[in-house]
Amino acid sequence: MNILETRAITHDFSGLQVLLDVNLEVKAGERHAIIGPNGAGKTTLFNVITGTYRPSEGEVFFKGKDITGFKPHKLVRLGMGRSFQITSTFSRMTAFQNIRMGILSKRGIRFNMFRILDKMQDVTAETDEVLKRINLDGERNVPAGMLSYGKSRSLEISMAMATDPELVMLDEPTAGMSKDETHHAVELIRRLTEGKTLVIIEHDMDVVFSLADRITVLHLGTILASGAPADIRADQAVKDAYLGEMEV
Amino acid sequence: MNKTQKWILWAVLLTILALYPIVFGIYYSNVFVTFAIFALFAVTLNLLLGYTGLLSFGHAMFFGTGGYGTAIALEHIEGLPLLPAVLIGVLAAVALALILCPIMVRVSGTAFAMLHLAFGQLMYVLALKLRVITGGEDGVGGFPIPPFSIPGILSIDMTNPLNFYYFAIAVLGLSIWFIWYFTKTPLGSVMVSVRDNDNRVAYMGFMVPQTKAIIYVLAAAFAGVAGSIYALFQNLIAAGDGFHILVSFAPIMMVMVGGIGSFFGPIMGAAIFGIIEELTSRYTERVELVMGLILILVIMFAPLGFLGFLRYIKERWFGKRPDMTTTEDVA
Ligand SMILES: Nc1ncnc2c1ncn2[C@@H]1O[C@H](COP(=O)(O)OP(=O)(O)OP(=O)(O)O)[C@@H](O)[C@H]1O
Ligand SMILES: [Mg+2]
Repeated sequence: MNILETRAITHDFSGLQVLLDVNLEVKAGERHAIIGPNGAGKTTLFNVITGTYRPSEGEVFFKGKDITGFKPHKLVRLGMGRSFQITSTFSRMTAFQNIRMGILSKRGIRFNMFRILDKMQDVTAETDEVLKRINLDGERNVPAGMLSYGKSRSLEISMAMATDPELVMLDEPTAGMSKDETHHAVELIRRLTEGKTLVIIEHDMDVVFSLADRITVLHLGTILASGAPADIRADQAVKDAYLGEMEV
Repeated sequence: MNKTQKWILWAVLLTILALYPIVFGIYYSNVFVTFAIFALFAVTLNLLLGYTGLLSFGHAMFFGTGGYGTAIALEHIEGLPLLPAVLIGVLAAVALALILCPIMVRVSGTAFAMLHLAFGQLMYVLALKLRVITGGEDGVGGFPIPPFSIPGILSIDMTNPLNFYYFAIAVLGLSIWFIWYFTKTPLGSVMVSVRDNDNRVAYMGFMVPQTKAIIYVLAAAFAGVAGSIYALFQNLIAAGDGFHILVSFAPIMMVMVGGIGSFFGPIMGAAIFGIIEELTSRYTERVELVMGLILILVIMFAPLGFLGFLRYIKERWFGKRPDMTTTEDVA
């Protein structure tokens, strides 16, 4: 079954055509990588799926439901979570408080103004558990804006998953990381998305081919190819447009 | 701090507040009431500015509406008891906030500040022009001040300054406590995250406009409490005290001077302004001049305000790192 489907998505920014007839299919439980050169429209596709923009044309289906034009908060409640290419944490709040926002959301505690949050033991315990799992328990009380780059990226990725979504969408999670940090991040992603569906935008081909079950290549706003890693590696059009220059 | 220490601290604080008018006399009690009114007013502004990251140039409209609401109600409704009179003022401020919030929760930054400037000025002009209701430039004054009464049990005369001191401090103190509590709740933490990154808040599953609306109405309601108590205290509310642009600027300056980074900063700021006003008004009419100068100095040399400055000193001289575990540090 397809957990996520886009049907003939077209999107332009006041005349600038960025996506053209994109039909993406993501099966429940798979790890699906989206690759393509800079400016191909990958982030825009994410934005259209997760409710930042309503697509100019076409529909988005999530778990069989038409979600075109739904607002982000609604999609999160339906079971979607995403991270951002440019780190987008709550910079003046601690790592703990950042993750706790996700835990609150997951538990449906959104408008409670009658209990002291710090005294909600179960929320604190679950948040600390997550921090431990993502290896940030040492930085529990450090403001997100003061974390090292690698750690802040870990936090960025984990915030997308703190609400316990079925579908996780990560936009270049390893961007700017050292080889070592990348390795750790991939392990983290593998661990945290166990039993979930993952859509990941990634430039690092080692990461893509080690993580993905399926790959979609986006080029100039259209899907060039979509299939198993081996097929993509062998695809001549993909080689010409993208992989060739990366020397895989 | 453990539980016993907390209780002792509370007991000491309450004792000081209770004995203050007896020790210092009525004149300084009145100075203290004025301070407390503006402390609450500044705290409500800080809810928007410090906690949610929204700068308003028209916060006075809720203060003024609270004051006018109470004053006009007492003028026209015979035998209206005290607390319902305050409540009417608060509800008037809430009504205004509810009318404005569909627009206000969808803007931020300059647009938010300027829209408030515009609506604030509009309210000022309305208060001057709707003479029949608002009394024009003279305002609404000389309305009866009802006693604080619980029917059949007690009735306390509120025209007695000492009694009024206790009443005002109780209402204002409880209001500040309530807002403090609010900042510690889950919704309070959503509020802080909206300030940090409202886009991400939505992507964590929270409704940003609705959250902002609740905070906005709450800030307006308690600004209304401050205004209502002010009107009762002066037995007068006029456009100049209620809706003037300087009334909007005062809490901004208090927040900046006291420290935008904490809950108690604005209270500190209100105290500093109260003291300075008390001292300078003996020598000069130009109190604003001194205030302005202080604000310039603060912005240049202590951008986190008085409390931020204290924290900095503590760090430098005693090598103490600020405790990051509390949500109290909003900056
Ligand atoms: N909000 C916007 N307004 C106008 N143009 C935009 C906007 N967002 C993206 N674009 C343009 O759309 C095109 C695709 O951008 P997008 O960010 O989707 O690419 P990408 O595939 O994510 O690239 P990268 O690998 O560099 O992240 C680019 O030409 C970009 O300049
Ligand atoms: Mg991108």
